[in-house]
Amino acid sequence: MTTETKIHQLVEFTLPASVVGISAGLIAALLGGFAGQPLGWAAITGLGLAVPLVVLGIGYSALVGLGKAPAGVFAPAAAYWAIGFPLAMLVHAITTEWAVTGTPGLPDQPLQFLAFRALLSMGFAIGFLWMHEQVGRHWWPRIMEHNVYAQHTVEQYVHLAESMEARKQAAARNRKKRKAHV
Amino acid sequence: MDVTSKTSEVPEEPAAAAGTERVWKAGRLEPMPIRPLPPAPPSLHILGPTVFLVALGVGMGESYMWPRLVLVFGPDIRWLFLVGVTLQAFVLLEMARYAMATGESIFFGAARIFKPMMWFFYVAAILIYMWPGHLSAGASAFEEVSGIPWQATACVALVFVGVLFSLLSVIYNFLEKLLGFLIGLLVVGTSVIAAIVGQWGDLADTIQGMFAFGYFPDKALSSAWFPIVVGSIAFAGPSGMQQMWYTLQLRDSGAGMGAHIPKIRGLRSSGEAEAMPSRGFMFDTEDPEEMKKWKGWRKWVTFDALLLFWGITMLVTISFTVLALSAARENPNVAGLIEGGDREAALKAMSDAFASAGSPFLGSLFFGFIALIGLNATLGLFDSFSRGQADMTYYFIPGAKRFSMSRIYFGFLWGVIVFGILILLFGPADGPAGILDVLAFLSTFAMGAYCIVLLLVNNKLLPKPIRPGPLRNVIIGFGAVFYLGMLFYSLIRFGVVLD
Repeated sequence: MTTETKIHQLVEFTLPASVVGISAGLIAALLGGFAGQPLGWAAITGLGLAVPLVVLGIGYSALVGLGKAPAGVFAPAAAYWAIGFPLAMLVHAITTEWAVTGTPGLPDQPLQFLAFRALLSMGFAIGFLWMHEQVGRHWWPRIMEHNVYAQHTVEQYVHLAESMEARKQAAARNRKKRKAHV
Repeated sequence: MDVTSKTSEVPEEPAAAAGTERVWKAGRLEPMPIRPLPPAPPSLHILGPTVFLVALGVGMGESYMWPRLVLVFGPDIRWLFLVGVTLQAFVLLEMARYAMATGESIFFGAARIFKPMMWFFYVAAILIYMWPGHLSAGASAFEEVSGIPWQATACVALVFVGVLFSLLSVIYNFLEKLLGFLIGLLVVGTSVIAAIVGQWGDLADTIQGMFAFGYFPDKALSSAWFPIVVGSIAFAGPSGMQQMWYTLQLRDSGAGMGAHIPKIRGLRSSGEAEAMPSRGFMFDTEDPEEMKKWKGWRKWVTFDALLLFWGITMLVTISFTVLALSAARENPNVAGLIEGGDREAALKAMSDAFASAGSPFLGSLFFGFIALIGLNATLGLFDSFSRGQADMTYYFIPGAKRFSMSRIYFGFLWGVIVFGILILLFGPADGPAGILDVLAFLSTFAMGAYCIVLLLVNNKLLPKPIRPGPLRNVIIGFGAVFYLGMLFYSLIRFGVVLD
């Protein structure tokens, strides 16, 4: 597989992560847009959050696709976003400041700023992982025919799905047997 | 393709010859046949039946009742929330113990101990949950956004829920996905908004307040506020009988011995439903291999309880409290407004916190979140109520087995919908907050009672190797004293049952 194909497949694989970042960015854009900011400013503040969240989301998703992080498991996602979420919010704050005053600037008390967002990152990590799986489990099986990363991830889930099926069948067999005894 | 975490396989059973089958005798009802325990899911995945508890738990208590108390009494009152949610996490684990070991609901367990106890819950569920409180609160938030009267929205939503559930093939699968998506959106949204609007000081106050053990201002002991405080503690996490219903969702998700019980189907395909066994099953607790699998299931449910239930509930409520504190800054007279009788003021003030950047739209966004919480809670509650009542009706009302469990489920679902519409249009309810306070207070009694049931069921009906340890028994015992003690103190001191 060529490097170009690999990158193309990886981008395709990480689409669900982008959806989460874009949703969060939209919320930020709405916050900015309807807060009396001109449309251009709102777009910049929205993008200021959406872009870092999409980039970081793709980064996490790529780790899953490459097998560096297990799919759907919380602890790695929490650790990742404990750093990623405050950074994304910092980029957002800087771009918002830039849009409003014309010059980019750090928020007051940047360490406190980062610590506050790091604490809230747990919530974001859960929401991110949750949505990532919800969207992914519809998207990945669709592209797995030609996408090795999707195939790899779906395989992680498939044995779960297979064992679920086996359990259902076993339970059905048991019920039939019991009926036959009666 | 459906991929979920709650999967495991059931080894094919050896066919037991009739009459020689090994059984576990539990209480006075039919003994439970011994069946193999399915292996626990292999890893700590995030999706599981606790999604229901989160949907129910992250409800009005977290988004409305507790922020209201914080606005009036300050963030230090939140230590009571911490106690309430932590207690609920232990209750969840103990509820799961019985359900996963037997595949039976906790209602069935109660009946094995003493049937009238089960009938108490049967009647209490109807009295508490026929009131459409959650939905009406969500609908009134929607009114703030759209201007559409809340009664109209609530009625439409009631019919929507009924039709939606009736059209589904397997209700559990769909609901798990839908609630999962909505909660994901809610959690991402509130985290981002709290990160933008809130400040470090608000968060520090919120977290510090969680550990201000013993703080209880005189005003909170007044007849006006004490019943509300009691109700709010009950509403910390899943309140009332929601924990009991969780045992049914665990069963339907196939956790532990629940794998041996068929799922409830939608009305459209209820004819395809498989016959329900007349009781649950037990696994061989003498077999070390089976006990190893049991430990795997306990680990799985503990993860579910701690991360999803305790963690998400705590995080969402912290976000909402941060917003409430921002609201108090923006709108310093909000506490006065609430005390003056304007009980919707908490929501309005928090909406103002959203709007603090200068636009009413942000306030609307907040009400959108509240409406979403109301819808989540309604979907979860209606399903759970119907599931619980159908379970008790099917097993314990003579002649009910003529109908399938699914048909009985829909009987209760549409019953509560029709009653809800009637009450919304013509009922005595004086508005959403009034209904919620009634619900919250009634719930507390059921919670004290289920702690007692849990102690009896887990210690008397389960084989010794899988009974709870002394520490867990003490915690659940404390729960019984905590809920019932507060309720009766309120009754004796203030003579107030309902607000």
